[in-house]
Amino acid sequence: MNADYIASPKDRILVTGSNGFIGVKVVETLLEYGFTNLRCFVRPSSLLDSLREGLSGSPAGEAVQLISGDLLSRNDCRKAAEGVSVIYHLAAGFDKSFAGAFMNSALATRNLLDAFLEQGQPKRFVSVSSFAVYADWKLKRGALLDETCPLEDAPQERYDSYGFGKLKQDELVREYGERYQLPYVILRPGPVFGPGQKALSGQLGISAFGLFFQVGGSNLLPLTYVDNCAEAIVLGGLKPGVDGEIFNVVDDELLTSRQFLKAYKKRVNRFRSIRIPYSVAYSFSLLWEKYSQYSKGQLPPAFNRRRCGSHWKAHRYSNQKLRERLGWKPKVNLDTAMASFLSQFEPRKA
Amino acid sequence: MLRIAIVGCGKIADQHVPAIRRVPDCQIVSVCDQELLMARQLGERFGVSNCFSDLGKMLEETAPDVVHITTPPQGHYPLAKKCLESGAHVYVEKPFTVTAEQASSLIQLAQSRQLKITPGHNYQFTLEMLELRQLVEQGFLGGRPIHLESHYAYTLDDLDNVGPILGNRRHWVRQLPGQLFHNVMSHGVARLAEFLDDDLCEIVARAHQSAELQTLGGEEVLDELRVLIRDRRGTTAFFCFSTQIKPVLSQLRICGPRNSILVDLKSGSVIPYKKENHKSYLTYFLPPLLNAREHLRNARRNLVHFATRKLYQDYGMTELIRRFYRSIQEKTPPPVPYREILLTARIMEEIFSQVYPANLPRTDLPNVVARVEEGSERGAPLGIL
Repeated sequence: MNADYIASPKDRILVTGSNGFIGVKVVETLLEYGFTNLRCFVRPSSLLDSLREGLSGSPAGEAVQLISGDLLSRNDCRKAAEGVSVIYHLAAGFDKSFAGAFMNSALATRNLLDAFLEQGQPKRFVSVSSFAVYADWKLKRGALLDETCPLEDAPQERYDSYGFGKLKQDELVREYGERYQLPYVILRPGPVFGPGQKALSGQLGISAFGLFFQVGGSNLLPLTYVDNCAEAIVLGGLKPGVDGEIFNVVDDELLTSRQFLKAYKKRVNRFRSIRIPYSVAYSFSLLWEKYSQYSKGQLPPAFNRRRCGSHWKAHRYSNQKLRERLGWKPKVNLDTAMASFLSQFEPRKA
Repeated sequence: MLRIAIVGCGKIADQHVPAIRRVPDCQIVSVCDQELLMARQLGERFGVSNCFSDLGKMLEETAPDVVHITTPPQGHYPLAKKCLESGAHVYVEKPFTVTAEQASSLIQLAQSRQLKITPGHNYQFTLEMLELRQLVEQGFLGGRPIHLESHYAYTLDDLDNVGPILGNRRHWVRQLPGQLFHNVMSHGVARLAEFLDDDLCEIVARAHQSAELQTLGGEEVLDELRVLIRDRRGTTAFFCFSTQIKPVLSQLRICGPRNSILVDLKSGSVIPYKKENHKSYLTYFLPPLLNAREHLRNARRNLVHFATRKLYQDYGMTELIRRFYRSIQEKTPPPVPYREILLTARIMEEIFSQVYPANLPRTDLPNVVARVEEGSERGAPLGIL
């Protein structure tokens, strides 16, 4: 057993959401680290192509156990958690409704936590959360967003069901940590990019009416490349002495919104964007929010000041804690990451 | 002030709470879900402090006047029964029950206890459906409908919605006798039931699986349904449920002996078609212009509704809830006549028995609807004669 890690290669490790964009990379990284006693939990409806491709890249991939089920089923969770020492919980069901998001995030996590306590040999529960839980709109422009940032206190006003689900998931994990002394680590990645993820982050702007409205321009994007993010998550489950800690995951080198879009436009055909200054976006969000209140929800508060501030107010980001406590460093540098991300798009014709 | 409770705190409850809050003289006093966490998340977001995981306890401790049942359909019958037995009026989400027999049993129980019950046929109360009803009541059709057509489409585009159903044989939708149809088509059938006679003499249903669903791994789930219905008085109806038709349709066409009406619920439009004789080539010019005028009228009316804050997404649900509560407070007939609830349930059951014969045995059509003595807010279909 590597003394630097809390788990040995013989320990059974469960990865939920293992067929997702980040999950596949987490599985690949664990295999690279020599952890072969892996159990991948996938939804019955999942198409397993990317996971199978990821497993085929390693000689130990054949030994990986695939288990299909629904995290909303306590029985399925019990089967998944049986004999498991470390759980990487990446599964995230998206749902527009708050109740649906809560069910897919918090309720599923509760089932998994209970099953882990009941059927596992818990060494650590790694919960993958999101930047969406932070009330970063409260920070001043240029302020540093790190793990001490206050959490969102009214996700409904932000009209962000995903953030709500993740907030409640984090609350539950912390509660289980305190009540049952369950060792846990929470990782909160910024927007994750890489090949396989074509959609642009909402932190760049909004797509509407066939156009892309880029908000701001000089604001830094708290991006993390998928391989770097997976590395951080894997270390979160292995490094000793970090139980109960929370880590933000962003890369070292960050691009501004303008720099990212410029590189994107060079590569992508027929992409038209209009830049909107932050102050205009903020005023528009304020008006929209007020009309939404006046009309009693005839227009839902899809644009609101909280979301505007969270997405587009220029903040600074830090991965200092991640580096210091987990010994993380990016596997892939910015140039390579951008080249890899952009390679999935059609090149612009000469 | 009516005391309201909600049982089942999932996605649909998220629609019910704002709709209830738009209705005056009522207050949500408690929420309940077999998962206490679900009840608490709803209560926390909407300021309801009484959260339960036990229905009996909730009924006993908070004594609601009305209970909204927003659970998966398998729970509708036992939960509604328990609420009625406790003395509460009940709003049951669609589909009303799993079987027609359960529907009949609930209605009888409600009637025997002088309580009211309504299904969540909220699309019957959208602005355009209210306008349609007004036209029909004014005699626009010129008599009893000759033919009805209801198109109801459902998209498979949102895999976050469809994926869990298709990927899991244990999913509650897959456990319904009519599977996907059962969960979503009652809106489309209820529109027809309103204008059909209780005595049906023919229902022919055909269903198949679309190529898209097959690609998505639909297994035994069917998603394309066509139904022909004829009642004893000769009114015919066609029902089309599709996951493939684009744009996604939600329409009702009523053809009368003199005029016809098309209601498009997606665009909030009501287009009346009048019997008109135009000379020679004018028949190619005037009707399109007259139709254009009707479309403009609809656009103008919708703009007015928007300006007056009526064009919100759940107007139909709010209106149904408002009418249901009013019927309780004023002791008037419920907004959805019981005969329509039963007819909808019977038609659906007959359809499922034909397209999923292994799940349901065929019913005896001549007795399609057991007659229920009742008054109703909008009267029996014969009232349109």
